[in-house]
Amino acid sequence: MNNRNKLTAVLQLKWLCISTNKAIMIGPFLTIGMVILFRLIYGSNTNGTLPPVLTALLLNLGLSMNLCSDGFSMVGTSIAEEKEKHTLRALMTSSVTGVQYFIGSIFFPFLFTVAVNFAIIFVCDAPVELLLTPAFLLISMVAALISCIIGMIIGICAKDQMNANLIAYPLMMVFMLIPILGDLSTLMNKISAFLFTGVVTKMANSCATGTPYSVTALDLSVLFGELIISILIFLLLYKRNGYEKD
Amino acid sequence: MTQKVLLKLSHISKRYKTETALKDISMALHEGEILGFLGPSGAGKTTAIKIITGQLRQTTGEAKLLDTDSANIDASIYEKIGVVADNSGIYEKIPVWQNLSIFAKIWNVPKERITEVLQQVGLYEYRKKYAGKLSKGQMQRLVLARAVLHKPRILFLDEPTSGLDPATAVSIHRMLLDLKKDGMSIFLTTHNMEEAEKLCDNVALLFHGEIVEYGPPQEICLKYNRNKQYSVRLENQEQITFAQTSENITKIAELMQENRIQSIHSCEPTLEDVFLQVTGTSLQS
Repeated sequence: MNNRNKLTAVLQLKWLCISTNKAIMIGPFLTIGMVILFRLIYGSNTNGTLPPVLTALLLNLGLSMNLCSDGFSMVGTSIAEEKEKHTLRALMTSSVTGVQYFIGSIFFPFLFTVAVNFAIIFVCDAPVELLLTPAFLLISMVAALISCIIGMIIGICAKDQMNANLIAYPLMMVFMLIPILGDLSTLMNKISAFLFTGVVTKMANSCATGTPYSVTALDLSVLFGELIISILIFLLLYKRNGYEKD
Repeated sequence: MTQKVLLKLSHISKRYKTETALKDISMALHEGEILGFLGPSGAGKTTAIKIITGQLRQTTGEAKLLDTDSANIDASIYEKIGVVADNSGIYEKIPVWQNLSIFAKIWNVPKERITEVLQQVGLYEYRKKYAGKLSKGQMQRLVLARAVLHKPRILFLDEPTSGLDPATAVSIHRMLLDLKKDGMSIFLTTHNMEEAEKLCDNVALLFHGEIVEYGPPQEICLKYNRNKQYSVRLENQEQITFAQTSENITKIAELMQENRIQSIHSCEPTLEDVFLQVTGTSLQS
């Protein structure tokens, strides 16, 4: 009972931290807004209907941006803010456990990331019947989870919000740009196949061009492999210093 | 009757790569006692609190907090202790009441206790105000209110009045003495010797990670009162300091007989003087 109370309290606190931080909250709206804007611009030349290749491009852009900038920063920045304002130590010396804080920190960002992934499909006017499948749901959720755990890693390493952004940028370059640029370069395309965001964009590309997506062994290995790696890195860092280094 | 020992440090040392933060620290905190760790910045006061509360691991020695070895402390210990770090933060974007109600949920504390604590620290009328809009002194009182919300058995305070105006510091002192009256034990670090003299039953003078003196403040001061002196103020406003010699004792007796003395005080050293005598350094350095 008390553990449930503690988790509820952490969830409540994290929601307050996230919802009152404009820098964090603007992320999902910016992603959706950017996709809408691009769609309007592209659509103005094609009477509002986008050719599949442009729909694929928009989907890639929206999903990658959501998974990276929103997933990473929502978790990472909120932990960094707690360090900056010296509330993290207060919380961790109040009998909240590491696991409770972990769940509390990723719960809302995870929901947001998955929800925005779905919103992007509708905003892009992508073929919903091809995308809204159990495979998409699974891939989308696992990718959002990886993204949130990477956010936790960023949060553990960062001293403050600015530092969190600095740590997040190189990771965003890798996980966001490589899949987006995959269509322009063979090398990028090859690397992209080994990134969790690459699996998501591959699925999006396939569906946008009207081909039903089937999950491959490589895709599953990449997704679950990176999920395990990110958890291991997180645990290693947590074991060394907890959430905050002394 | 012997009071129960709630905290016991035995030969605690903490070494970092290039420096030693604590050297062979031994002491005990009893039920209902206020113990002060007194020392200048960098003396090892914060390190000591972190080790005791399980936030940092000592290099050698044993720390027992409420009969639990600090090496085996888990999150549940924080249900029995309260911690106010030197930079404990509050959630600025939410109201004062909510700052406490969330922690009340964590500790399973009834809502009436929030009202009680807010009234105790004089923040009840500000309960709906955003915590970020409070003054520095009010914020510190909120931090203290949060730390005692669950009625901990031991309260750890790291420089609780540092940077506060004298009036706020006095109100916090009053609060700490009230908590002591209620049976709470308090472990306090400070570099303010007046604060230590006023509040603490026992103080440990800490210098470069070592306890250089330990005991009740008054006893420590009397122990170092080697050159006994008396400050006398005469009717004509003249201020004279007499060393304790047989000649001066006669002189003082004469002045008293002639009813010329307005006030007379013994000049025993303060903790600040003792610290200076023992270490050659001021507490404020």
